[in-house]
Amino acid sequence: MQEPFRAVASREAEGGREIAVTVRNVGMDFDGVHAVKNASFDLPKGRFLTILGPSGSGKTTLLRMIAGFQTPSSGEIFINGEAVSAVPPHKRSIGMVFQRLALFPHMTAAENVAFPLKMRRRDARTIPDRVERYLALVRLGGYGGRRIHELSGGQQQRVAIARALVFEPDLLLLDEPLAALDRKLREEMQLEFRRIQRELGVTTINVTHDQREALVVSDDIVVMDQGEIQQKARPIHTYRQPRNAFVANFIGVTNFIAGTVRAVSEMGDVSIFRGDLMLAGKLGDPANPPAEGDKASGAIRAEQIRLAGDAAQLLTLDCVLAGTVTDTIFEGERMVYEVACAAIGDEVIRVFDHDPAAHTQFDIGESVFLGWNARDMLVFR
Amino acid sequence: MRAARTAYPLKWRIMDTLEGVAAAIWPARFRRATPYLMLLPAVLLVGLLVLGLIQIADASLRTLDTTTFQFSDNYSIANFRRALTEPLFLVVAQRSLIAALIVTTVTLVFAFPYAYLMVRTRSPGLRKFLLIALFLPFFIGQVVRAYGWLIILGNQGMVNEALGLVGVAPMRLIYNYPAVLFGLVQYMLPFAVLMLAPALTAIPEELEAAAGSLGASWVRTFIHVVLPLARPGFIGAGVVVLTLSLTDFAVPAILGGGSQDFIANAIYDQFFRTSDQGLGATLALMLVALGSILVGLVFALFGAGTLAMGRSRA
Ligand SMILES: Nc1ncnc2c1ncn2[C@@H]1O[C@H](COP(=O)(O)OP(=O)(O)O)[C@@H](O)[C@H]1O
Ligand SMILES: [Mg+2]
Repeated sequence: MQEPFRAVASREAEGGREIAVTVRNVGMDFDGVHAVKNASFDLPKGRFLTILGPSGSGKTTLLRMIAGFQTPSSGEIFINGEAVSAVPPHKRSIGMVFQRLALFPHMTAAENVAFPLKMRRRDARTIPDRVERYLALVRLGGYGGRRIHELSGGQQQRVAIARALVFEPDLLLLDEPLAALDRKLREEMQLEFRRIQRELGVTTINVTHDQREALVVSDDIVVMDQGEIQQKARPIHTYRQPRNAFVANFIGVTNFIAGTVRAVSEMGDVSIFRGDLMLAGKLGDPANPPAEGDKASGAIRAEQIRLAGDAAQLLTLDCVLAGTVTDTIFEGERMVYEVACAAIGDEVIRVFDHDPAAHTQFDIGESVFLGWNARDMLVFR
Repeated sequence: MRAARTAYPLKWRIMDTLEGVAAAIWPARFRRATPYLMLLPAVLLVGLLVLGLIQIADASLRTLDTTTFQFSDNYSIANFRRALTEPLFLVVAQRSLIAALIVTTVTLVFAFPYAYLMVRTRSPGLRKFLLIALFLPFFIGQVVRAYGWLIILGNQGMVNEALGLVGVAPMRLIYNYPAVLFGLVQYMLPFAVLMLAPALTAIPEELEAAAGSLGASWVRTFIHVVLPLARPGFIGAGVVVLTLSLTDFAVPAILGGGSQDFIANAIYDQFFRTSDQGLGATLALMLVALGSILVGLVFALFGAGTLAMGRSRA
């Protein structure tokens, strides 16, 4: 554990950027509850990192330790290469947007935004200008005089963002500030976060349980479960190359078919048996392959499965199963079919059909065939 | 139909019956009058109070003939003139007023940390202890408590005995102004804590964390965030403590030993010692006026605090 931290912290990251935040073997125990276990990652300057995980996975705890509200039980956090465990929150240069915003109700929007500048004793003459500039940045120009309760939910979000950014912190932390908004507004604010972050280039750590938000706004995603980091990767890699079954299941709609490993190749090809059915796929985590005879499951995304009324239409695919439609769910931009497949003990496979022309193609009870390519199936232990 | 009825829990059926009875007595078309009906008991009580005040106002305008012990039939403002000119009453009024102001300030200063700790502590055990310690004095009446202080602070009391052990000569700790102030603060503390606690509970803890992350030390967080947001609680607690100590009777009587009379003690003397109900009524009216002016002043200066209804004002 005692590796030379400086070397890690000053290492040039991909893209030749400096590291803004290093989390090294950080753990947090609340009398017996391990909220965070041995978490480590580096965040280069100027990047937007999202910590994604289900409720209770330790996201807030990790964020609060970075902000300085809690002291790690073990490990160390570095900001700009400095160990910060002895630095109180108000001495760290961190802007934070809280889950419930935590705007000061006894102040106007402008007074809220001016607060960090006053607390940091910035030149009083420059404050009004700067406040107005940041209100304009979040598209609230002219709203400075409003009291907090006179603003809509979305406008309050924007005030909270302006307040967290106005003093030009080294780091911006967001603790699910969008969770309470309705979907339309949430998606609008996600893009807004991304725009502002790119405009200012501020290093950002965002916490969410919303996989869509993580995919849309982030440069990197850290997936957490039960206090442990499962994977850190670019959004597209997190989605396409999940490292374990939890990540594959948490992001996107994934079908799992359990079986027994028959063979593993050097190239990362793997085949598993489910009864008489042989399924070919790729290793999900090539660094940690299963052995022959191990239990494993093949994971296939709902959108990577083709559906046809006639097996002949699926001849080019590596794996084809026959099944019966048990349910059709219309979700607007796509149709979801649930198909029970006899070859896997009538387990239900979910399939997306994004082809608008095909929407009413299959009815409940109809016999269909589904198929996919071996390279799209990932096999996990 | 019968089967469906028995399917309902008993509680529902009782409620249905009650609602039926209520509907028979007070049909739905009277519903607009319901709020006024509910106001009735309060209005009656306040009405009685007003009647009493009128009676007192009447008495205050009649003077006592000290030779016949009869009250005059005609009205005069002689009692008011006496109350405003006789030095004794001015001294008493001044003493009560200054005491009320000092007690209010000291009590609020002491009550705040107590309430804050009680609301914010993470330890349920400590919170329980603080709550019990807060309510315990309520179970012991004011008179018993004041008497307890006599025992503790008296010439042969525990404090003087302890001082004697370290060679300090006995001191007079009671029957003086500080003793009365001390007794009043001790008596008022639970009221103030009880009124402050809800105001502090209403301040989300996250606001304090936010202030910290925005660069405010805990002192500045306290000054710029906690204090302004706790203001309704301070105003409520302040008004209660101010009026209760201004009008207090038992503490000045017992811990002051007759030498530290407040307005209420002077009124008592007029009613039950000199039997001058006219002058007593006059003093009582003036106390009501003084209290009203003070409370009005607080509301005018600081807003109505917790009494401010609807949206929060800054
Ligand atoms: N102050 C605390 N005291 C005790 N347990 C806590 C505290 N804060 C969080 N926990 C526990 O730690 C775990 C992770 O919580 P949290 O970090 O809030 O998760 P998330 O933000 O991902 O929903 C949960 O089991 C939670 O109950
Ligand atoms: Mg959380």
